[in-house]
Amino acid sequence: MSQDPSDTAVSDPKPGVRRRDFLKVVGVSSAAVAAVGCYSDKVEKLIPYVASPDNTVPGVSTYYATTCRECAAGCGVLVETRDGRAIKAEGNPDHPVNRGALCGRGQSALQGLYNPDRFRGPMTRESGKLVPVTWERALQLLSQKLGEAKSKGPAANAVFINQHEQGSFGAFLDQWLGGYGMPAHVSYDAEAPLSTIAANRASYSVAWPKLDFAAAKVIVSFGADYLDGWGLSVTQQLDFAEARAKLEGGPKVVYIGARRSLTGLNSDTWIPAKPGSEKGLADALLAAVTGKGAGALTAAAAAAGVSVASLESLAKDLQSAKPSLLLAGGTGEDGTALGTVVNDLNKALGNVGVTVRPSDSSLAYEGLSSHSAVREAAERMAAGQVSLAFVRGANPAYSLPGGVKFAEAFAKVPFKVSFSSYPDETTDLADLILPDNHSLESWGDAEPAKGTLGLQQPVMDPVFNTRATGDVLIAAAKGDAAMASKYPAADYRAWIVARAGGISAITKALPTGMMSGSPLAAAAPKPVAAKSAGAATGDYFLHVYSSPALGDGRGANKPWLQELPDPVTKIAWQTVIELHPETATKLGLEEGELATVETKQGSVTAPVYLFIGLRPDTIAIATGRGHTSYGRYANGCGVNPMTLLPVGEDSRSGAVSLVTKASLRKAGGATRLITTEGSGRQHGRGIARALTVAQLVAGDTKDEKETFVGQASNDFLPGLRSPVANDAQGDLGDPKSKDHGQYDPNHWSGVAKRRWAMTIDLARCTGCAACVTACYSENNIPTVGAPWQGPRVLPDRTGFGANITRSREMAWIRLERYFEIDREPKDVAFNPEFDTRVIPMLCQQCGNAPCEPVCPVYATYHSPDGLNVQVYNRCVGTRYCSNNCPYKVRYFNWFGYGEPNRSQYAFPEPLNWQLNPDVTVRGKGVMEKCTFCVQRIKEAENRATLEHRELQPDEFTVACAQACPSRAIVFGDAADPKWSVSKMVNDERAYHVFEELNTYTAVVYLKKVNH
Amino acid sequence: MATIARPTDDMPRPNIAKAGLQLPAVKDYEQVDREIMATLRPTKGWFAALTIAIVCLMIGAAAWTYQIHEGLGVAGYNPPVMWGVYIVTFVFWIGIGHAGTLISAILYLFRAGFRTTIYRCAEAMTVFAVLTAGLFPILHLGRPWKFFWLVPYPNWRLLWPQFKSPLVWDVFAISTYLTISTTFLFIGLIPDVAVLRDAEKNPIKKQIFSALSFGWRNSEAEWRHFARAYLFLAAFSTPLVLSVHSVVSFDFAMALVPGWHTTIFAPYFVAGAIFSGMGMVFTIIIPIRKFFKLQHYVTLNHLDAGAKLCLFTSMVVGCAYMVEFFIGWYGAVPVEQEYWWNRVFGQWWWAAWIMLTCNMILPLSLFSQSLRRNPTWLFILSLFINLGMWFERFVIIVPGLSHEYEPWQWSTYVPTFVDYSILIGSFGWFFMWFLLFIRQLPVIAISEVKEIVPPRLRRVHPYAPAPEGEFASDTPGAHA
Repeated sequence: MSQDPSDTAVSDPKPGVRRRDFLKVVGVSSAAVAAVGCYSDKVEKLIPYVASPDNTVPGVSTYYATTCRECAAGCGVLVETRDGRAIKAEGNPDHPVNRGALCGRGQSALQGLYNPDRFRGPMTRESGKLVPVTWERALQLLSQKLGEAKSKGPAANAVFINQHEQGSFGAFLDQWLGGYGMPAHVSYDAEAPLSTIAANRASYSVAWPKLDFAAAKVIVSFGADYLDGWGLSVTQQLDFAEARAKLEGGPKVVYIGARRSLTGLNSDTWIPAKPGSEKGLADALLAAVTGKGAGALTAAAAAAGVSVASLESLAKDLQSAKPSLLLAGGTGEDGTALGTVVNDLNKALGNVGVTVRPSDSSLAYEGLSSHSAVREAAERMAAGQVSLAFVRGANPAYSLPGGVKFAEAFAKVPFKVSFSSYPDETTDLADLILPDNHSLESWGDAEPAKGTLGLQQPVMDPVFNTRATGDVLIAAAKGDAAMASKYPAADYRAWIVARAGGISAITKALPTGMMSGSPLAAAAPKPVAAKSAGAATGDYFLHVYSSPALGDGRGANKPWLQELPDPVTKIAWQTVIELHPETATKLGLEEGELATVETKQGSVTAPVYLFIGLRPDTIAIATGRGHTSYGRYANGCGVNPMTLLPVGEDSRSGAVSLVTKASLRKAGGATRLITTEGSGRQHGRGIARALTVAQLVAGDTKDEKETFVGQASNDFLPGLRSPVANDAQGDLGDPKSKDHGQYDPNHWSGVAKRRWAMTIDLARCTGCAACVTACYSENNIPTVGAPWQGPRVLPDRTGFGANITRSREMAWIRLERYFEIDREPKDVAFNPEFDTRVIPMLCQQCGNAPCEPVCPVYATYHSPDGLNVQVYNRCVGTRYCSNNCPYKVRYFNWFGYGEPNRSQYAFPEPLNWQLNPDVTVRGKGVMEKCTFCVQRIKEAENRATLEHRELQPDEFTVACAQACPSRAIVFGDAADPKWSVSKMVNDERAYHVFEELNTYTAVVYLKKVNH
Repeated sequence: MATIARPTDDMPRPNIAKAGLQLPAVKDYEQVDREIMATLRPTKGWFAALTIAIVCLMIGAAAWTYQIHEGLGVAGYNPPVMWGVYIVTFVFWIGIGHAGTLISAILYLFRAGFRTTIYRCAEAMTVFAVLTAGLFPILHLGRPWKFFWLVPYPNWRLLWPQFKSPLVWDVFAISTYLTISTTFLFIGLIPDVAVLRDAEKNPIKKQIFSALSFGWRNSEAEWRHFARAYLFLAAFSTPLVLSVHSVVSFDFAMALVPGWHTTIFAPYFVAGAIFSGMGMVFTIIIPIRKFFKLQHYVTLNHLDAGAKLCLFTSMVVGCAYMVEFFIGWYGAVPVEQEYWWNRVFGQWWWAAWIMLTCNMILPLSLFSQSLRRNPTWLFILSLFINLGMWFERFVIIVPGLSHEYEPWQWSTYVPTFVDYSILIGSFGWFFMWFLLFIRQLPVIAISEVKEIVPPRLRRVHPYAPAPEGEFASDTPGAHA
C-alpha cells in the first residue's frame, strides 16, 4: 500500500498496520469480494455514442424494405433492425407478391445472414487447402485469371452458374461476361417448376400467369404442390386461404398425385394416380369434359390405378362448376406435356382469363435456364472443355441428380471461382472464393409485378468481410483496360441507383421498397437438348419431392428450418423413406427401421416413416438434407435422394425428372424417428374440428365431439368465458373483494379493461408452419436438435441430439396434423379417402388456468389483461405447470441454451445478433411458453401512451398472426367490440379446445369446412 | 388410553408393551445390555457395507453435480413426461418413511406387542427415509439453488409462495413429519442412551451421550414424564402418518392429469406407504437379526406378526388398484379409459404388471404360516415389495403424463444413467445414515426389551411362588 504523504506527515510512533490502512484494505477487499461474488459475468461498460448515428434511437426498431431472395418468388420484406442489427424479417404489407405475409424460409433469411459457418472473407486454394487472403490479393488473382482467359482464348468455354434471381443482376452479369468474351451465364434454380413454366410459355406465352384461386369453384392439381413451395408459394397460399374462407362459397379442391403432399392434405379429394399416369388422366378428362369420349376415363383410371367413379365425379364437377382452376406440376419426363394438356383443359373449361390470367403474369421466372443446361455444362467440364468456371449461390454438386456427377466434372475445371456466401458441396471444390454479401446486405432489384420495380437494399453493414459480387465484377472490369469504360459506376449500388433514376428517386422509393420501372431484362437462355433416362427398373416408383421447409437443400444450414417439422411428415433434422403401411407390412418393416432404396444410380439408407397418404407402390423421399459440406447444421443429417436419380430430363423443359423406379429392402437396424408427432389421430377428442358444407348451410354446427357419453356439455358459449377480472388467483377475482387492485376494470391504469384473445380459423390454416418460424424469430426460441446439443456424457446412441429424440423442442406454437382414421396408421389399409386436420396449438391463455395454482412460487400467474404470465426470474423449475397443462404448451429449458460457453448453446456467434432485445433469453432450468407476444402488446401500449391516445383497434398483432400466409390468426382485445377478434370469437364455427375442462381459454378456433 | 401409563398393581412400571410377548432366550438385563450393545462394535462387514453405501452416495452426488452443471436435460425427461425417476423415488422414500411411525406410534397406541423389538429400527428408517425423500424435491428442480423460494420466509418484496400449490403443502408436510419423527426417535432413545453413557469409557462420547440422555437418572419421576412425553408424541405422530402421505398424494390428485385426478389417492397412498414401509422394515431387520445374531430378540413370532400386517396392507393396496381400475372404466370419461388401457395393456403394461405382481400377487404367499415364519422368503419378498412399490409410483406418475389429453403430445420415457445414478445414490445416502446409526445407537430398544424380560430380583423370597409368565410384581425402576 502506497504511503499517502499527508499521512506520513503525522508521524506514527507505532510500527505495523495502522487503523486507517487496515480499514482501507478491509473496505476495498470486501467491496471486491462483494462485486466479484455477486456477478458471475464479467462487468461490461455501457458507452454512449459520441455522435449518434442518424435516425437511430436506442431501443427503437428501424425497418428497411427489401426483397427476399430465399426463393425465386421475390417477396417483399420489411426487416426490423435494432441498433444496426437485423432482428426480424416480416412481409411487406404493400408488396403485391406476399401482401404482408412471409413464409418460414423467408423469415429464416436472418439465419443465413448470421450463419456461423459463413465465409469470413475471401479465400484461395493453396496446396489443396483453402486459406484466407486479402481482397486485394483475391481480386488480383481473379483479374489475372480473367486476363489469361481473355488473352489465351479459352474465355469462350467459361461457365458461370448463378442461383436464379429476379432482377437486373442476370443481365448485368451477362454484359460483364460478354465483355470478356465469355458466354451468358446459366441461371439455375433446382426447385423451379420448369415443366409448368415451359407448358405455360407454350400455352399462354408467359411463364407464370396469375392464378386466381378465390374465383374458382373447383381446384384440381395434377401434382402441383402450390402450398409446398411450387411457384409463388406465399401468393398462392394467401389466395387459396381466401378461397377456402368463403366457406360454402369456396372451392372444392382435388389433388391428383402419388403422394398426398401438404397441398394434397388441404384438398377435399385425393386421386392417387400412379407416377407417370397423370398425363393420361388429364387427356381422358379433357376428352370427357369436351364430350369427345367419356369412355376414355375408364382406361385412364385403370392405367393410373384409381377408381373410375372419382374421375367421373371430377369430370362432372368440372363441367358443372365453372370457373375452375387446373394446375399441373409434373415432375416426370412428360411434365411439359402434362402441363400443356392441363392448360388445354383450362382453355376448354373457359378458365383462361378468369382463373388463369396470362395478362397479369409473374416475372419471377424470366431468364431462368433449364436443368439440362447445367447438366450440359457439367458434361463439358467432364470432357475437359471448360477452363474457367464460376458459381454463385447455386449448389449443383448437391442439387443435381447423382447421375450428372457434377462434383467430379467441376473438379476437373482448372480454375474455379465461387461467389457463394457459405461453404457448400460445390464451393468446396473452388480455387478462389470471393464470398458475396448476403441478400440482406446487398443492393438489387426485382419485378414483383409488371412495371413495378421492387428494390433490394442492405439492411445492415456486412457481418463479415464479404463483398457484393456486383462490386467485385465492377472492380475486376475497372482493372481491365478494355472494360473499364463500360463501367462508370463506382460499384453495384451506384449502378442500381443509376438504373432506378438517381439517388433522389430511389431514396423516395426505398421506404416502400417499390417504384415504377423494370429491371434490365436478361436474354432468354438458349434451349439445351434434354436427355431421357430411359426405362428404369425396380419394384417401386420413387417419388422425390422438394422439401417445403428446406427447398432444394439451401435451407439446411439454418437451424430454424432444420428444426421445423415437415408440415406433412412432422420429421425434423432427418430424412425418412416414406412408405405406405401396407408396403411396410409386406416387407416386414416397422416405423423407424432402416431401409435401403436402390436405383441403378445408387442407394440410400434411411429410417422408414409410415405415411397413409402415399400409394403403396411408391416410395417418397424429400430433398434438402444429406449435405456433406454445408455448415454445422446441415452436415451429417439425413440423406440426399438426388443421388438416386439418373440423368433424365423432361424433353421439352429440360427439368430434372424426379420420378424413377427403385427397389427397396430392409437394411437391418432401427433408429428413433425425429418427430414431433405423438399420436397422429385425435382419438375423438375434438381438438381440430370440422364441418361439412351441408352442416354449415343447415346451421348445424355440432360435430363428432358432442356424441361422447359422459362428456360435459361442450356447446360453445359465445365469446370468452373469462370475465376480465376473474383470474385464477382468488381474492383479486373475487367479486366480494374490496380491492381488486389492477384487476379492477375501473383501475386508473385501465389494464383490466382488456382481454387479449386470439382466433384461429381452421378453414384458412393450411399447416404450412410459417407461424412457427415467426415465433422462433420473435421470441428468441432456441433450437435444440443439433447432435451436439444433448448431454455430453453418455449421449444418446441414436447419433442425434438427445433433446430432439426426446421431444424437447421448444416451439411455443406447433402445428398438429391429425388424420381422421380409426386406428393407428400402421394398421391402415390403403384408402385415399381420409380427412386431415391441422391445428396450431399454442398457450391458450386460459382464464381459469390449470398451470397457475400449482406453481409453488407464483412464477406463473394471471395478469389483469387476461394473460397467463410466466416470470422466468421467479421460476424454480418444478415443471408442475406443464404437467397440469392439458394443452401441453409449456416448454422447459433442459440445458443452458442461452449460455455461450456451453455445447448446447443455440445461438453461436453471430446467430446471437438476431436475438430480439425485447425478449429475455431464458436461462437453464426455467419454464417458458407463448406470451401472446407481450413485448408487442407493451410496445403498442407504450406508443399509444406516448402519443396520448387510446390503442386503435387492430393496431398491432402478434408475430404468428403477422407472418401467417393464410391469414388464419387474428389477435386482439376481445373485451373491446371494435377489435376484429371480438367479432370472430362469436362466429358460429367457434369452439374452445377441451372446453369441458373449464379452462376458459382465450384462443378460439373456428371449425374447418370440408367440401 | 389413559390407563397405559398409570401405575397399577399389575403394571407397576410404565411404558410396558403388554402383549404376552416372550423372549425365552433372553434371560436377564445384563444379557440385554451385552447383546444389544454388541451391535455398536464395528465389524468388517459393517465397514464393507458402509463403504458400499458411501460409494453409491458418491455416484449419486457426482451425477447430481453433473446435472446441476449441465441442466436437467441430462436426465431422461421426455416432455410431456416432466416428472420421472426423481419424483417416483421421492414418493417411494416418503412411503418407506411411514412404516416407522406406524410401528412406533400407532402400534404403540394399539399395544401391539410385536413392535417392541423392531420399532427402533423402523423409526430410524423413517427418519432417514424422510431425510432421503426430502432431497428429491430439491434435486428435481430446474434451479435447485432456488429451492428456498418454496418456503414462506419473510422478505421485503412481500413475495410469498402460492399456498394453493400442493408442492407448498409438501414443504410443510415433509418438514413437519421430519421434525416430529426425529423428535420421537430421540425421545424414545433417552433411557437407552443413558445405558450407553454409563457404559462409555471415551470421555467425549460420554459427554455426547450425557447430553442426548438429558441427564437421565432413572428416577420414577423421570419415567413418568418420559412415558407421558412418549405417549403424547405417539398420539401426535399418528395423524401425521395419515396426513403426510395424503398431502403427497395431493401432488397428483389435485392435478387434472388423467390417472392422477382421483379421490382415492389419499387412502390409497397411505396404505401403499405402510405396505412399502413394512417391506423395507423386513429388508433391514432380517439381515440385522442375522448378522448381529439377534434372532432371539426379533423372533419368528415378531416376523410372523409383521408379515400379517404386510399381507393386510397388500390386500388394501390391491383393493385400491381394483377400485382405481374400476372407476377408470365406470367413470366413462374416454380420456381416463384410454389412459387406463394404455397403462395396463398398452405402452406401460410391463411396469403395471411388475407392480401388480409384486404388490398384489406375491404377498398372497403370506397366507401360508410357514412362509410367514421363513425369514429368507420374507427377505426375498420384501425386495419384491420394494421393487413393486417403486413401480407403483412409476406407474402412477409416468403413464399419466405420457398419455394426457393432447394425443399429439403423447410420448414415452426412458431414464438415463443420471437418473439411475441418483436413484442408487439415494440408497447409498439412506444406508450410510442407517449404518452410522446402528454403529452409534442401539438398534433394538434396550429399555423396552428389559420391560419384557424377567428382572433380576434383589433376593428371592423364600416363600414367594416360583416366577412365571409375568414378572409383574418387581420393584419399580429396575436398573438401567
